[in-house]
Amino acid sequence: VPAIRRLHLVAASCGTAVATICAVGLAQLERLAPGGWAAAAVLAGALPCWLLARVFARLCRTVPSGAGPLAYLSRAFGRRAGLLLAAPYFACTLLLGGAEALVIGWLLQRTLGLPTAAGAVLFLVGTWALCRAGLRVGYRLQTAATLLLLGGLGAVALATLFHHGWPEAPPPTPLGFAAAAVQSLFLFMGFELVTTQVEVASPEAVGEALHGSVLILALFYGLLALALGHLRGCDILPQLALAQQAGPAGVAILVGLSLLASFTSFNGALLGLGRFVAALGRDGLLPRRLGRIDGRTLVPRAALDALLVITLAAAALIGHFLQPLLFGSALVAGALYAACAAASRRPPFREVLHD
Amino acid sequence: MSLLQSLMGFAVEYHARAELVAEQRGWSRTIALAADDTGETAGARVDDGRIVELYDDRRPSDVTIRSDAATLREILELKRSANEPYLFGELTVQGSEADFLRLDYITGCLCPR
Repeated sequence: VPAIRRLHLVAASCGTAVATICAVGLAQLERLAPGGWAAAAVLAGALPCWLLARVFARLCRTVPSGAGPLAYLSRAFGRRAGLLLAAPYFACTLLLGGAEALVIGWLLQRTLGLPTAAGAVLFLVGTWALCRAGLRVGYRLQTAATLLLLGGLGAVALATLFHHGWPEAPPPTPLGFAAAAVQSLFLFMGFELVTTQVEVASPEAVGEALHGSVLILALFYGLLALALGHLRGCDILPQLALAQQAGPAGVAILVGLSLLASFTSFNGALLGLGRFVAALGRDGLLPRRLGRIDGRTLVPRAALDALLVITLAAAALIGHFLQPLLFGSALVAGALYAACAAASRRPPFREVLHD
Repeated sequence: MSLLQSLMGFAVEYHARAELVAEQRGWSRTIALAADDTGETAGARVDDGRIVELYDDRRPSDVTIRSDAATLREILELKRSANEPYLFGELTVQGSEADFLRLDYITGCLCPR
């Protein structure tokens, strides 16, 4: 089994969780819990994720499957229940793909003057075309993109805090803080998918990456939330306001890194979902023609085509529902995580728990 | 029927599809099958897209596929696809994703159920 460096695994986990839309999620967090309270909400959301890292490490040690949560839930609760429990998460991933494209469209419109729809369509079609050609983002590119994005935005956030000091705001209501803590789960969504790397890495290395990524994500989002505290949640693209402090070069770097982060994130999601849709097509649960795989690229092209249509439709419709979508995604992720935690207490995972 | 016998049947079906074999030209791997419930093992050495050796002992491999004996036999006898038990966690793979995708493509072509 080829050994993947631990850094690549941590980067894969963080890279899946961090996308351009996360800044929109942070802005929403700022509105629920302004000032430094948003950072506290991030840490409150990180705590269950830290505990979940242990759960997912155990799940992937017992069933070392590249199919991830669907495999765990199916083994614990049966196929039908596994599918029903995992399906909302897959649907959310698709909708978030459309939302991510929309945010990229807004970013390009604000910086280059490109119409939002054109930017969003270009991003979706470009990523889909590369996936369709069989291009998979390698570990090195994923690691470089993640390091640059986290390092770049982290440095700007630190500089903001250095200039403006600690953000101050009255404490939110308990309900507002609780909502912000739940919403912060959205920011970690996808970190657990590093378990799918267990086919090429040891379960122990995956377990370490799960814990490491939760720690890094908590620090990164916490720092960003503190820096955004000065903006008072007035901009839907708060990362742009942060980058503007570093001048036009800062904005250009931000746009480039955002595109790269979104591409690496969406490339993985599209290929993973495409494989899933193709398998369902071949088993007759979806139209059979979706199951066709191209012999040269080994890519399920018909499934990718269908996914493109759905994400394009999502991008066109999601604009007015972006904030409910982010909150709903956090709830769906929470439900999937709770189901996985319950699965870890059932056979065949229970036996490992008792060992 | 043993795992090795099922694998021999699979090799015959595979080599009967000349265009499928030609598509795999340049692909050389050692693939091991392991039945978790019975402890049975079998394997194949693929060279330039052709299966050149079958064996039932334990050897180092590029890809290891694990499942229960019945599932492995059903896949080799082309009664079911490999991807379906894979998705539901009943079949696991150790090795690169690209190799499993190729194996899945081959079984999918031979068993277009």
